[in-house]
Amino acid sequence: MVYIASWDEFVERSVQLFRADPQSSRYVMKYRHCDGKLILKVTDNRECLKFKTDQAQDAKKMEKLNNIFFTLMARGPDADISEVSGKEQVEQQASKKGRGRRQ
Amino acid sequence: MVYLQPDPFLNELTSMYERNQEKGSVWVTLKHSSMKSKAKRKKMETEGEAIEYRCLVRATDGKKTIATSLSAKDHQKFQASYATVLKAHMNALKKRERKDKKRTAEVEQKPASSKNPGSSKKPLPTKPPL
Repeated sequence: MVYIASWDEFVERSVQLFRADPQSSRYVMKYRHCDGKLILKVTDNRECLKFKTDQAQDAKKMEKLNNIFFTLMARGPDADISEVSGKEQVEQQASKKGRGRRQ
Repeated sequence: MVYLQPDPFLNELTSMYERNQEKGSVWVTLKHSSMKSKAKRKKMETEGEAIEYRCLVRATDGKKTIATSLSAKDHQKFQASYATVLKAHMNALKKRERKDKKRTAEVEQKPASSKNPGSSKKPLPTKPPL
């Protein structure tokens, strides 16, 4: 299984995958405490997207993806996720600025 | 399978995370579902009935499975409490090293603060000989 390395690519492709076939798509989050590993999977039984991490900062990103999927799945695939994903962009910009200052 | 109400589900999920701390994994699946069989869905479609879709949430540790379903109304409340449960239990993940942050901050401050005294000190020793 090939894991997607880029978080942004994973988010974009998994939302696309879900919207293409909402009825047969699912989003699985696996957490293994003893190994400190978090694995996210989105699949429609034909294509499978996976993302693996051991970083706490990625758990925060995952929270936003959870919100996107809760919204899409409870409100339907046409639901507006710009509000949920918009916040993400603002925070990403803020964190990028922070990195720049530190360097 | 019996569907729990969202709040009991979160309680069960919490104890599932606690049970699997030393070993084991916990899977949580989200799915867009009508909670009806395919045959029933087709029948409803042909009869022109609107199908209500909900967010089906399932969790398992390989031994026990729990599930709940969320309507468009209660998903926001649930996702907030769910995030709290995750935050409380996902503490085995690696944190970004804070030492690095402090070091780089010190490095940044030092050249800025040492430049001024340095530039003012240098002319001082050169003045007495003159």
